[in-house]
Amino acid sequence: MDSIIILFIAGLIGLFAGMSKKPVASILIASFGLIGAGLAAYYRGSYTSPFSSYAAYVPTQGLVIILLCAVTLLAILAGFKRYKSDDEHTGDYLGLILFSLCGAILMAQPNDLMLFFIGLEILSIPIYVLVGIDKGSSASAEAAVKYFFTGSFASAIILFGIALLYGATGSFQLVEIQSNLAIGIWQSPMAMIGSLFLLAGFTFKIGAVPFHFWGPDVYDGASNAVLMYMATVVKIAGVYALVNVFGQVFRDSYFFWIDLVSLLIVVSMFYGYITAWKQTSFRRLIAYSSIANAGLMLFALADIHNSNLFLFVAAYALATIALVAVNSVINDDSDALANWEGIAWKNPLIGIALVLALFSLSGIPPLAGFFGKFSLLWSAVPHVPYTAMLALIASVIGAFVYLRLLLLALKKPSVTVRIKLSLEQIIVLVVTSVASIGAIYFI
Amino acid sequence: MALILLPLVFSLLAWFVPSAFTRLFGLLSTGITLAWSMVAVCYFQPEEQILIDFGLRFVRFSIDSLGFTMILLTNAVFFLVFLSNFTGKLVNDNKFAALALLMQFGLLGVFTTNTILGFYIFWELTLLPIFLILYWFGTFDKPRALLQFFLYTLLGSLAMLLAVIGLMHATNQQTYEALLVADINALGNTSIWLMGGFLFAFAVKIPLFPFHTWQAETYTKAPVAGTMLLSAIMLKMALFGLLKWVLPIFDGVATDFWRWPIITLGLIGVVYGAVIAIRQSDIKTLFAYASLSHLGLIAAALMLNDYDTNQIAVVQIVNHSIVSIGLFLAAGIIEQRLGTRELSELGGIAKVAPRFGFWFAVLTFVSLSVPFTAGFIGEFFLIKALFSAHALTGFIASTTLVLGAIYMLRAYQAPMFGPSKFSSFQDLHWSEMTVFAILSIAAIYLGLAPQCLTDFVAHSLTQPTH
Repeated sequence: MDSIIILFIAGLIGLFAGMSKKPVASILIASFGLIGAGLAAYYRGSYTSPFSSYAAYVPTQGLVIILLCAVTLLAILAGFKRYKSDDEHTGDYLGLILFSLCGAILMAQPNDLMLFFIGLEILSIPIYVLVGIDKGSSASAEAAVKYFFTGSFASAIILFGIALLYGATGSFQLVEIQSNLAIGIWQSPMAMIGSLFLLAGFTFKIGAVPFHFWGPDVYDGASNAVLMYMATVVKIAGVYALVNVFGQVFRDSYFFWIDLVSLLIVVSMFYGYITAWKQTSFRRLIAYSSIANAGLMLFALADIHNSNLFLFVAAYALATIALVAVNSVINDDSDALANWEGIAWKNPLIGIALVLALFSLSGIPPLAGFFGKFSLLWSAVPHVPYTAMLALIASVIGAFVYLRLLLLALKKPSVTVRIKLSLEQIIVLVVTSVASIGAIYFI
Repeated sequence: MALILLPLVFSLLAWFVPSAFTRLFGLLSTGITLAWSMVAVCYFQPEEQILIDFGLRFVRFSIDSLGFTMILLTNAVFFLVFLSNFTGKLVNDNKFAALALLMQFGLLGVFTTNTILGFYIFWELTLLPIFLILYWFGTFDKPRALLQFFLYTLLGSLAMLLAVIGLMHATNQQTYEALLVADINALGNTSIWLMGGFLFAFAVKIPLFPFHTWQAETYTKAPVAGTMLLSAIMLKMALFGLLKWVLPIFDGVATDFWRWPIITLGLIGVVYGAVIAIRQSDIKTLFAYASLSHLGLIAAALMLNDYDTNQIAVVQIVNHSIVSIGLFLAAGIIEQRLGTRELSELGGIAKVAPRFGFWFAVLTFVSLSVPFTAGFIGEFFLIKALFSAHALTGFIASTTLVLGAIYMLRAYQAPMFGPSKFSSFQDLHWSEMTVFAILSIAAIYLGLAPQCLTDFVAHSLTQPTH
């Protein structure tokens, strides 16, 4: 709760500081807010809120909040060039992102379905605005409208699922729902359909097949600066919420939904990677890659007691931020993959960061992506061995996609034009690179 | 500890070396590593193990006598690769030096790690630098062939990853010693599947017959140094994995299940590789298929999992490294000086370059398994072992001697003898001559006294229980 308060205040101050049109001041306020929120989560991670009559929000792990804050910090640093150029809206960008992060933290580790739903909405609504913040661009407006309609539809589905569950069990509290379901109520049609509705809504939020259709268009229409936040934090919060809700509430009906989830994993991975293969636009490629990675994240459901999700989402988020940050350096207006040709030679840091990020996403040891995938599969293999096998085949296709991008970036150009990076971009690329190597110490 | 970490340190340093000194740096650093390991082996008792622990949960190291053999082999191979390319452009690039040294670190990790996950991690780590070396310095006109190589090996590796996870779950163990005593046979069919995962990865890497399609094109289009690294040491990871990890751990049900399928594939590879090599007109592709043929024999013989045969297989592994460095160096010299690798366009080199003619001939004879060379010891005893398993397998395996003679003599005779088809040919540089001399001396020494190696590794090879 401390983290949320700090973030909310920092967001408010940032919003008003933005009016002074001093972008550096705004970003400093936002950064300090994020660092403060991370520290608060670190020191008071298991702190019970005095505010809520539900006694609802008890974070089980401060780690996820720290990860969310760190990823957001990297995302706003990497997107700073964009906010600065649009100095009418610098405060709006940062304020909205911080407010949205409050929702993400509220939603990631719920105890109560009502509070979870409020978190979800707080997370989503600022993002609808952020996607459409570029008022001059019709693609951005189209993406915002699309995201808003499909997103509110998904919210409605989740709400409907919650209502059905309430009808079946008479409670919003996860612990009570679970104990009620455990005595056999989960077999009632109302609870079963409710759980399926919840699953569908979650699948939409994290962008896995079959509710992924909004992804490519929205990612394409949003700017790089917003994409960095959207492709990482929303997914992390969504998948943690999914794991917590399903791991707690529906653990008795495990065998009812695990086959369905396995199917979603396999289809998401194959669909995402195969479709990513022929993309010519970078943000669409990232969108399809994130669909496939959402599939992988669902592996966390295979072992409900020990999901081992953290390393994987962290590795995914860092690598994605590195990639989009590079894209925003070279490619801020157009989005053609063709512009990626030979960029590794234009700046050594970009080269190193790209090699590490892409190999990490492909899951090559000793980088973070491998350890993430390993720890996910480590707990999943005994439960869903065949799904794991298919997922590994799909990740070979994925390696194809990432390596094609890498080869494009490493192609030696005839004339090398140096690119200069700004300080905050250097920080982001160095942090992501070091983190992707340093992950070996966390396993 | 320095034994493993030295190449990593050098590889990081290599990025900062000015390009005028890069080739000297590469030579020196591999030389230092080699010297260090040679000194270390003098103080090493073959019965002992050196344990190294960096405080990582899943990666620990222990060096036994087999590991030491492979360390020496790796360090020697890298030294020779840098030495043999001393006149080339490649070693002047610090990207190459850094990547090659990183790969050396990965290989040393594979040969010394004590945990099954560590084996996988280092196994994959070697893939990263060789991929970049091939991409930057190879002559791949399209990325397709390169991606084929990468993804083929990656598919194999992922099968191994599944098997590693499965093995760790099934036994609750991760170190080599604990896995050796774990009761794998109690797993029944699961153990067959697990071993299959490992074997698939190895079959792609070695490569065995139906999984070899990446090999010829990759070898041909890679730079000479890259081909040497691939064939002289990287493929040995798979044979080493078979010898040290898979066969002792899965001794029993699983090995019995996979023995004859793998022997069949290996022998098909022996004949198939040789027959294709005979028909090749490109000298580097010819050596690539020759390599397929030789390695098929080693893999087949290893599957017998016989204590004596395993010792001889180590001799043959070392011998194959010697031969492949020598032959690919010869092919590289011809290509570098004449700009072509087509056998039909070559001829009469021996007249103008007698030193090259002599040393290439020595290496050809080693490859032909002439007595008093290591090749003879290796092939003779491997074929003998296959004969004692079944007369037919022995017969098929021994065709390698005849077919090998056909393609190797053709590969030597066509470019070296006959009418001269070119204006000038610069004879060997001192660095190339040193490499050839070291290789020949090593091959002949091993041919005369193989027991110095077999006795040394015998300490760490486990006696099969059946």
